[in-house]
Amino acid sequence: MPSSFLALTSFKDKYSTSPSSFQVSSGREVMENSASLQESSLAPSNGTLGNSSLSPSIVTDHMCASALPHVQHSHNPAFISQSSRDLASLPPLDASFSQSTASLIHTQGNKDVSWSLDRLQMFLDLPENTPAPNQLVESSTGVLASEDHNKKTNWQEWADDLINVVDPDWSKILDNTNVLNPRVEVPKPSGDISKQQPQFHQNQLVPHGEFSSHAYPSSTAPPTKPRMRWTPELHEAFLEAVNQLGGSERATPKGILKLMNVEGLTIYHVKSHLQKYRTARYMPETSEGTSEKRITSIEEMKSIDLKTSIGITEALRLQVEVQKQLHEQLEIQRNLQLRIEEQGRYLQMMFEKQKKVEDEKGGVPSSASDDLLAPLPGSKHPPCNNGKSDSEALEQDHSRTGIGPGNAGTNEDKSSSGVSTKLKMLETESTVHDESGFSVSKRARTEK
Amino acid sequence: MKFGKRLKQQIEESLPAWRDKFLSYKELKKLVRQISSAESCVEYGKADAEAEFVHLLNNEIDKFNVFFMEEEEDFIIRHKELQQRIKRVIETWGPNGTKPSEAEYKDEMAKIRKDIVNFHGEMVLLVNYSNINYTGLAKILKKYDKRTGGLLRLPFIQKVLQQPFFITDLVSKLVKECENIIDEVFPVEQEDEEEIVKEQREAITVAGKGIFRNTVAALLSMQEIRRGSSTYGHFSLPPMDLPDSDLIHSFQLNSPIPIV
Repeated sequence: MPSSFLALTSFKDKYSTSPSSFQVSSGREVMENSASLQESSLAPSNGTLGNSSLSPSIVTDHMCASALPHVQHSHNPAFISQSSRDLASLPPLDASFSQSTASLIHTQGNKDVSWSLDRLQMFLDLPENTPAPNQLVESSTGVLASEDHNKKTNWQEWADDLINVVDPDWSKILDNTNVLNPRVEVPKPSGDISKQQPQFHQNQLVPHGEFSSHAYPSSTAPPTKPRMRWTPELHEAFLEAVNQLGGSERATPKGILKLMNVEGLTIYHVKSHLQKYRTARYMPETSEGTSEKRITSIEEMKSIDLKTSIGITEALRLQVEVQKQLHEQLEIQRNLQLRIEEQGRYLQMMFEKQKKVEDEKGGVPSSASDDLLAPLPGSKHPPCNNGKSDSEALEQDHSRTGIGPGNAGTNEDKSSSGVSTKLKMLETESTVHDESGFSVSKRARTEK
Repeated sequence: MKFGKRLKQQIEESLPAWRDKFLSYKELKKLVRQISSAESCVEYGKADAEAEFVHLLNNEIDKFNVFFMEEEEDFIIRHKELQQRIKRVIETWGPNGTKPSEAEYKDEMAKIRKDIVNFHGEMVLLVNYSNINYTGLAKILKKYDKRTGGLLRLPFIQKVLQQPFFITDLVSKLVKECENIIDEVFPVEQEDEEEIVKEQREAITVAGKGIFRNTVAALLSMQEIRRGSSTYGHFSLPPMDLPDSDLIHSFQLNSPIPIV
């Protein structure tokens, strides 16, 4: 631990003063570091730009540096590939990952991160925001407290909104340079942005769009945080507004936003959507813009070989057939995956119920637990039978291992470890996918 | 390493702008290995390692979500635009249009057909993107649990199931609507046409990068991935039932990267 601590401190010192030379060099530096795990965890392949990946470990110390908002252009493949070449081991990590990882190592937990963020918020006069209660919101994510993420998210979003309200081309500029200086921006439109924030998080877009304000720190496209999920209905409303305002060329984002009158929709959402719309509209001859380049070679093939043999129409028909098949298979696969996880959830629930019962009864196996297992949904028979036999096996084992006098405590331990072992075995089993084989092997293991 | 190889192939065959948006499976696998070997040394506690791992996964998920929703938004716009375009063509150059012209009409319709089929393909590929990344995540989690004895997989995958990138309902709906439009826009298949088609199917050569090629690759990859493995278990998918498997294999005749 001490060595990693020191290493981190040296990172901080090194990089806090030179945010501009950050991107690639920081990655290299990290790679040269000794500690294996730390190396991999702190290797920021900077698909995100203009961000001091490592310095914000202590936010308070380098508030200005850490006030650098997250800006990533999702279409910057050159940069991303360069950084991934530099950093062999890891996918593009964003600053917040490095932030929290660094803080994990450095500060032993989330508390410091949230504390730092609290201070930062005070400094920047941000209103406190709670995670939006959206169905799509991941408010309970990984090990890290979601609150922290949300705070980071909100703050970054706010900072990014700033930049975009002030000058939309900033994102382009920021792409190319790594130097950001939002200190300049900070005082100005804070009023507007903070007004936008609470409205946004109210999230009452029931008929229209959906907001997924992830608890995950966003790694890309910060201006669209919390991310807006468009729907056809919302798009229709957009189109209506555009038409009322005289067409896509004449309509302004502000006007559209006003006309649409959708709560939680920001001007940035409208702006980017308008841009997409304009692109789609004025590329009809070249067949939907970007797809043109992709299909050029196929079109050549088609026109040369297939015109002579089948004709374009038939070739297209064939293509559609294959595509339809892929889609069908994907839907089937997805449903299977959903069901598998559903069953897994169910089984876990059963185990936990069982554990509870055993804990309460001090490990005495009773018919009550069997009752618990009784109402199994019919549609899930095969694995449910497995589950049942597993739990029964568990039961029998416990009775076998003895419920002697004063053994309550031991039995609790056994039951809990038994449950978790069971679950682990379920997760990692490598037996034949066969019902009877499944239960038999399970019993065999439990009896070990 | 089978999935890793498949994924890599898929990525190579995928549309260029998509290539860096897939799961970093190899790197995550490496990390899992590192974590499991580093566990012996107490220096970096297990909880910390797990938190880190989770954080990385979260970033990946975020990447998927952003990309997926951007593409989805594009699709919504283009879907509508296609419909408008068809309407315009019919109303202008169609038989009852303002300036009826069979030549123009045919010409425009041909373009529309091409565009709409590719559009359909792109949408399906996005669904495939979602699925393959999900599959990769599930596998990585399984590896993690296996190597570290953790219980991360089950709860984590539940959260993944609720992520925007996994909820592909809207895109699927657009795909279906697109298929309806295709049926409207394509001439009804004549009987003799069908025969010609069957004869000529072997003559099709598909070379170069493209949506069709990507689709074929995706289908075959899927089939391979699900063929069955040593770690086949309760949470594994059964083998795939692909009716036109041979036909689809034949589409790879000139493939530089054989998908076998």
